[in-house]
Amino acid sequence: MKIVVLVKQVPDSGEERTLRADDKTVDRDAATKRMNELDEHAIEEALKLAEANGGEVTLLTMGPGDATDTIRKALSMGPDKAVHVSDDALHGSCAIATSKVLAAALGKLEWDLVLCGAESTDGGVQALPHMLAERLGVGAVTGARKVTVEGATVTVERQTDEGYEVLQTEGPAIVSVWDTINEPRYPSFKLIMAAKKKPVESFALADLGVSADEVGLANATSQVLEFAPKPPRQAGVKITDEGEGGAKLVEYLASEKFV
Amino acid sequence: MDFRESEERQALREAVAALGAKYGVPYMREKTRAGEKTHELWAEAGQLGYLGVNIPTEHGGGGGGIGDLAAVCEELGAAGCPLLLMVVSPAICGSIISRYGTDDQRKRWLPPIADGSYTMVFAITEPDAGSNAHLIATTGRRDGSDWVLRGQKVFISGVDEAQSVLVVARTEDARTGKLKPALYVVPTDAPGVTYQQIEMEIASPEKQFQLFFDDVRLPADALVGDEDAGLLQLFAGLNPERIMAAAFALGIARLALDKAVDYAKTRTVFKQPIGAHQAIAHPLAQCKIELEQAKLMTQKAAWVYDSGDDMAAGEAANMAKYAAGEAAVRIVDQAVQTHGGNGLTAEYGVGGLLAAVRATRIAPVSREMILNFVAMHTLGLPKSY
Repeated sequence: MKIVVLVKQVPDSGEERTLRADDKTVDRDAATKRMNELDEHAIEEALKLAEANGGEVTLLTMGPGDATDTIRKALSMGPDKAVHVSDDALHGSCAIATSKVLAAALGKLEWDLVLCGAESTDGGVQALPHMLAERLGVGAVTGARKVTVEGATVTVERQTDEGYEVLQTEGPAIVSVWDTINEPRYPSFKLIMAAKKKPVESFALADLGVSADEVGLANATSQVLEFAPKPPRQAGVKITDEGEGGAKLVEYLASEKFV
Repeated sequence: MDFRESEERQALREAVAALGAKYGVPYMREKTRAGEKTHELWAEAGQLGYLGVNIPTEHGGGGGGIGDLAAVCEELGAAGCPLLLMVVSPAICGSIISRYGTDDQRKRWLPPIADGSYTMVFAITEPDAGSNAHLIATTGRRDGSDWVLRGQKVFISGVDEAQSVLVVARTEDARTGKLKPALYVVPTDAPGVTYQQIEMEIASPEKQFQLFFDDVRLPADALVGDEDAGLLQLFAGLNPERIMAAAFALGIARLALDKAVDYAKTRTVFKQPIGAHQAIAHPLAQCKIELEQAKLMTQKAAWVYDSGDDMAAGEAANMAKYAAGEAAVRIVDQAVQTHGGNGLTAEYGVGGLLAAVRATRIAPVSREMILNFVAMHTLGLPKSY
């Protein structure tokens, strides 16, 4: 069983993140970069499936040159190899263009299953698996908290606000996962040492047959017109108890529809 | 010259820090209070190869050096869950057996030491031979092909959670004169071995013991390496011990400084965070500088040891242990002071570090003996004792 895991380097969501003043794209230079948190769960699930069924796990990432840090970190969890799509023309690409590029890269790889995080912590679009499925003519089952593969049949428990739905599709398929699916492993020292020696294949746009005028900021289907930092936290409401503090608290909570 | 650690070591630190974050201070506190051991953390760190990073790959280890093992030790300490027995099992015993053990001894002991499934502790100090190791009196006597061991040890860490102990003794025919150490691997359940816990003021899952050998019969292959390899063999273990003790101190110091800085940023008195006052900020800045100095010396010492220069490693490892112990004691003290009364509450978990960090100035070699070493061997001053 051949599994490709989509991995994305994102600005650390635990820190203050900003957009660039000039082109209003994510300011990657100002950020601490790390692997998208949910991708670690996708890798873990891929490794488990490969361990149970035999097979290999390939990482696929689209990102700038320094995304190699994330690739090495991801490889140290145990995948066999990685593919890095990098091209200056990709800067500022929208989700639709990204799906075009990743679909072209997936067209060059052999796979039975593509796994990815349910969303990235920077974009948060959640649409990429469906876009890829559309372009590749395969099924997409998304938002999984559990994945089972039997033969060509892929069954997932799709997490919803109320509970879960059971979805099934025939492979090859694309599956996105939430963090409820597993506990990602810590990289062992042996795998850390081995990560540097694992093959990482690089693709530029030309290698994928995608033209520069189909991608990038200038050709994006969505545009950031303006942005502002989030307003500072407002001071809370203080209620001084002068004998009827309790009633005032309830009044406030009711006005905010908490009770 | 490059002061950056290798990508692999940085990745190792990151991975160990993540594991440490899963356990952390609450885990250590719970284990200490319940009188339990850190078996879960030890086992998981072992399975991930973190405990055996310095053991050769052909014997189940990671093929790295003491610098890597020290990084593991420091990161777990900074996360609030230091594993003291790393200093003895993989660092001292692992190093000595890797370098001086026979092939059979390596095959037998290194793989389980590396994966943490076997713990070997280390016994050198005696009631009458602490700083003066020349007075070691525990003696191995030949009896046919066997050895018979007799003597006693004190301040031995973790005997109750170890399968065996690497004992520094001397051979009988060398009872007088210069120290001629002989190293024996003694199972902790061997007939004639008894041990007794020493009640300490340090709150830790790892306990200290007195250890007695009452004519303990050992097979010929209990003797590690060569009975004539002497001091070289011993220092192959003692230099890593000092480097690991430095890393252990650095871990505690980082934990304390992180807590103090966090507190100074958030605790508000006189309408601003206390960290805005230079009386709070400057000592913490000094702590940070001293921490970095000590860490640099520790990294250098590990690098010298890993490069194979045992003579130079002795001086560097001593200096690292001194620097880290001094910095750590000062940093924990300043962290307590920064917290005010909260510094001595159980909730903030700073005061509890005082006794543990104080030990890093004493063990495994006291500050005074390090100063003697540097005065004599580095500066060429006359010997005072």
